[in-house]
Amino acid sequence: MVEPILEVSGLVKHYPLTQGILLRKQVGAVRAVDGVDFTLNKGETLGIVGESGCGKSTVAKMLVNLERPTAGSIKYKGEDITKLSGRALKAVRRNIQMVFQDPYTSLNPRMTVGDIIGEPYDIHPEVAPKGDRRRKVRDLLDVVGLNPEYINRYPHQFSGGQRQRIGIARGLALRPEVIVADEPVSALDVSVQAQVINLMDRLQNEFDLSYVFIAHDLSIVRHISDRVGVMYLGRMVEIGRDTEIYDHPTHPYTQALLSAVPVPDPEAREHRERIILTGDVPSPTNVPSGCRFRTRCWKAQERCALEAPPLAVPSRFGEASGPEAHDCACHFAEAVS
Amino acid sequence: MLLEVRDLQVEFRTRDGVAKAVNGVNYGVEAGETLAVLGESGSGKSVTAQAVMGILDMPPGRITGGEILFQGRDLLKLKEEERRKVRGAEMAMIFQDALSSLNPVLTVGDQLGEMFVVHRGMSRKDARAKAVELMDRVRIPAARERVRQYPHQFSGGMRQRIMIAMALALEPALIIADEPTTALDVTVQAQVMDLLAELQREYHMGLILITHDLGVVADVADRIAVMYAGRIVEQAPVHDIYKAPAHPYTRGLLDSIPRLDQKGQELYAIKGLPPNLMNIPPGCAFNPRCPMAQDVCRTDVPPLYEAGDQRVSACHFSRECLNG
Repeated sequence: MVEPILEVSGLVKHYPLTQGILLRKQVGAVRAVDGVDFTLNKGETLGIVGESGCGKSTVAKMLVNLERPTAGSIKYKGEDITKLSGRALKAVRRNIQMVFQDPYTSLNPRMTVGDIIGEPYDIHPEVAPKGDRRRKVRDLLDVVGLNPEYINRYPHQFSGGQRQRIGIARGLALRPEVIVADEPVSALDVSVQAQVINLMDRLQNEFDLSYVFIAHDLSIVRHISDRVGVMYLGRMVEIGRDTEIYDHPTHPYTQALLSAVPVPDPEAREHRERIILTGDVPSPTNVPSGCRFRTRCWKAQERCALEAPPLAVPSRFGEASGPEAHDCACHFAEAVS
Repeated sequence: MLLEVRDLQVEFRTRDGVAKAVNGVNYGVEAGETLAVLGESGSGKSVTAQAVMGILDMPPGRITGGEILFQGRDLLKLKEEERRKVRGAEMAMIFQDALSSLNPVLTVGDQLGEMFVVHRGMSRKDARAKAVELMDRVRIPAARERVRQYPHQFSGGMRQRIMIAMALALEPALIIADEPTTALDVTVQAQVMDLLAELQREYHMGLILITHDLGVVADVADRIAVMYAGRIVEQAPVHDIYKAPAHPYTRGLLDSIPRLDQKGQELYAIKGLPPNLMNIPPGCAFNPRCPMAQDVCRTDVPPLYEAGDQRVSACHFSRECLNG
C-alpha cells in the first residue's frame, strides 16, 4: 500500500570555500547538507522544518535538480536521478516540480501570466501541442482560483497571494507527481496564507500529488503534513508521523523548537514550560564534532562530542511500538512527559 | 497615560493618487504596559508608529489630522529641534531588520556610543565604556572584545540585541518595536522576546509591539489593538480578545490559525484581499470580505462601539460577533 516515490539517502551538498584568485585552493567547505535520508511516499505530504541555514532549501533544490549533490542518491521510483543526464533527466524533471517562496521574485516581471504558466510547455512540448496551450493555461488559472481572463496580465498586477497561485499553476502545468514547495506561504499575510494552504490541500487530492513541504512555521507544517522531518545544521535529527513528532518529540532540538513556538493563547502564558536554547546555530563551515546540536544542548555529555548519533529508532525504546519509537538522532533520546 | 494617539490621520500623495494609510487611529499606552498593534501589511500599523516617532518620510507622507500626546505634550506641535531631543532619549524604536538598520561601516561600539555623545555630551572614551555596559546588559558574550566589531560580524539574534541595546541606551519611557523578531528563527525569537520583556519590566517602560504574529502577541501583550485599512477595528485586553473577538476581522484572523483538532480539514480563510488604500470601500472597509456584512455596513462607517470592559469594536454588529 505504502509506495515510495522519492527515496533520498546519504544526500550531501558541500560548497567549497576557496582562497586565492589564480590557484583557487580549497580551504574548507560549507557543509550545507551533510548526510540526509528520507522517503516520500505516494500521495503523502512530508513536511521539513528547521531554522535558517539548516539546509532545508538546499535539499529542495537538489530534489528538483537545481543543485547537483556532492554525494548521495535521490531515487525517483527506484531510479537514481542524480546519475541521469540529457533526455532521461528531462523526463524525470517533468514529474518533480517546484513552488518557490517569494512570489515577487520567482515570476518574470516582463512575461504575461499566460507565458509564465505556459513556459513549461516550451520545454516539454510533448505535454501540450502548441494550439492547445492557451486553453490549458486557462484551465490551470481556473484550477488555482484565478480568473482565466487574467491570462494576459503581468505579475505586478496581482497581490502576493495571487502571485503564489500563479507559481502553483506553473508548478502544476506539466502534471507532475511530486511538488517541492519551499516556504510557499511565508511571504504571505496571515489571512491569505490559509487560502493558499487550502488550495494546496485541494490540489493534492485532485491531482494525486505528493508534496515535500518545507517551512519554518511549525503550526502550518503540522496542519498539512502526514510525516515531518526536523533538520539541524545539514542533518535530519528526527523524522516521524506528524503526531509522533509534535506530541512525542524525543530529540532535544525538536523539543526546544516546539516549546519556543509562541502559542496563540494568552491563558497558556503562565503555565507553559519553555526550553530557551542558548547561543546561535554554529556555522556550517565549522561543524561541531559528533552530534551537531551538542553545543546548544543541555543533555550533552562527552559521548556526544565523540560519536555522531545515527538517525534510527533509539534502542532505549526497544521493541516498544509507542509513538516515541520513531527515528531520532540522539544518544539520549527521551520522551517528554 | 504615557502616550496617547488621538484621531491620527496620515496620507501619502503618490503619482497615482492619495493613499489613505491611517484614518483616525486612537490608542494609548501606560508606563510599564505592553500594547500589541496587530495587522497585516498595509494596515497602517507601521505608519502610525513612524508618525509617533517622528520619522515618517514627509513628503510623500502627510499628517492630515490628530494629536500625538506624549507625557501630556502634543508631539505634532513641537519644532523639529525639540522633537529630536525626544526621539532616542524619551522614546526609541527597534526595527525588524537589524542588518539594514545598523550602519555597516561603523563598529557597534561607535553606534551605541553615539547615543551618549550626541544626547549626553560624553567623551568618546566614556561612551565606549557605556557601550560595553549596554552590550553586557543585553547579554552579548565577550562584550569588551565584540564592541570593536562591525554589524556583519554578528548573527541575526545578536544584531537584534544590539538594536535593543541602542533603544535602551538612554532609558526611554517608551519603546516601539516594529516586528522585532520577524526576521529571526523561532529559538532565537524566544530569546529576544524574553530579553525585551525582562528589560521592559526592569525599566518600567511602555512598549508598543507591532506585529502580525498572533502567537507572539498572546505571549507578551497586555492589550491588543487590531488594525485594518488604517483604522483600529478592535481594541481589548489580551485575554478577552482571544476568548471572544468582537470584530469579524479579528475572528477571521484567529480562526485561520491551524488548530490541532482541525487537522485534515479545510482551514478557515478570510475571503478576498485587503483593500487598496487609494480606494477604500465605502462604509466599513472590511465589508467586502465580511461574512456578517449587511446593507448598513456598505454605507455607514462604523464608529468605535463599547464592547465590554475596556473594549471597543468598530463593527455595527459587535454584539452579535461577540456572542458568536
